[in-house]
Amino acid sequence: MTAGFKPKHQRLVLVVLALVAILAAGALAAWALKNQASYFYIPSQIVANPPDPDRGVRLGGMVKAGSLKTAADGITMHFVVDDGKAQVPVTFAGIAPDLFKEGSGVVAEGHMMKDGTFVADNLLAKHDENYVPRELQDMSKQQARQTVAETR
Amino acid sequence: MHAFANPARFLRIARPLTPVLLLSGMAITAAALAYGLFYAPAERLQGETVRILFIHVPAAWLGMAGWSGIALASLVELVWRHPLAALAARGSAVPGAVFCALCLASGSLWGRPAWGTYWVWDGRLTSMLVLLFLYFGYIALAAAVQREGGSSRIPAIFGLVGAINIPIIHYSVIWWNSLHQPPSLGWGTSAMAAPFLWGLLASTLGFTLIFAGVVLARMRALLADIQAEARLRRKALES
Amino acid sequence: MREGLDPWPFVIAAYALGIGATLVLVAWSWWAMRSAERRREEAKAR
Repeated sequence: MTAGFKPKHQRLVLVVLALVAILAAGALAAWALKNQASYFYIPSQIVANPPDPDRGVRLGGMVKAGSLKTAADGITMHFVVDDGKAQVPVTFAGIAPDLFKEGSGVVAEGHMMKDGTFVADNLLAKHDENYVPRELQDMSKQQARQTVAETR
Repeated sequence: MHAFANPARFLRIARPLTPVLLLSGMAITAAALAYGLFYAPAERLQGETVRILFIHVPAAWLGMAGWSGIALASLVELVWRHPLAALAARGSAVPGAVFCALCLASGSLWGRPAWGTYWVWDGRLTSMLVLLFLYFGYIALAAAVQREGGSSRIPAIFGLVGAINIPIIHYSVIWWNSLHQPPSLGWGTSAMAAPFLWGLLASTLGFTLIFAGVVLARMRALLADIQAEARLRRKALES
Repeated sequence: MREGLDPWPFVIAAYALGIGATLVLVAWSWWAMRSAERRREEAKAR
């Protein structure tokens, strides 16, 4: 019974295998997310280190207030994405989600052109963690913030 | 702690508690969801879509709480050899998986009108999907151990190690650039106006009571299975 | 150009899914518990 493969050892091997599998899955997930993160740029990153024009990347930031203009064809939109440090002009021809607004967050999927404009194929709207009822919309921003603060 | 290890004592508490938890949970949830669907205000930017909040957030909380329960009970089982802890861990698996799946589905239905897409491979969504697969793995492993008669410590170790994913889900919106917004609720802080906050707390309470009732029902079912099998085996030996 | 998406189908679908899944979960776990406890009583009586 000295060299035999006891059931106890068999179970131990199973547990070790399960552990290795879980750790590998975790590492894989972390690697995939890190890889995915390399496709995500904020304006200051994309200005400092522009990616190749044929590489599809994501640009995330705020739509600068007053920058959104719709061209005469009614489909093409021009706006500026801002992260407080740098600004990137973006062109998009297509249907934008309803939550896409000036002063709100956006993630644009597309390509960075050589001339410094970002041509987006797709727009995703990002919303923040604040939830304010529509009735409060008519109040000033200050009042609305105060109303939210009172519920803390 | 071993005072509660006695199955008879557990049953004396669990028998009346199971229907009380399930019925009160369903009553509170029904009221909270009726409020969410008909009375809650539209949100400033999101409009009517915000009503999905009252389903999505409790489902996310219970999907994560279910695995936290599995991990905690597995630890108690491994260290103190507490027999009811094994039942508690296995009883949390199915309801946890259901709410995890509900969180993903309701989030997808929320993402389409709010973000403009049903799904993105971002940190929060990916780690929640990993949690669902961990649930499937745990349920399969626990069933195999019960059927083949292996050590119940194998699913317990799996439950404990899988708990790494819980802080990953929580911090994913901070660690990675995510389309998902950061949490609105913290300890004592809220970025949510009162009409959303109170409705959300009510639906979370209701769903949590239902979850607790389902866990108790699962534990009673597993315990009854074990007792019936033990009795039949003893009878077979006697005859 | 904006989508102008009607949010209600998404809200209704999420509520139907949430309520349906919860009811199925409660009914299934209650039924499984009752039948397991009945099997135990039968094993005891035999």
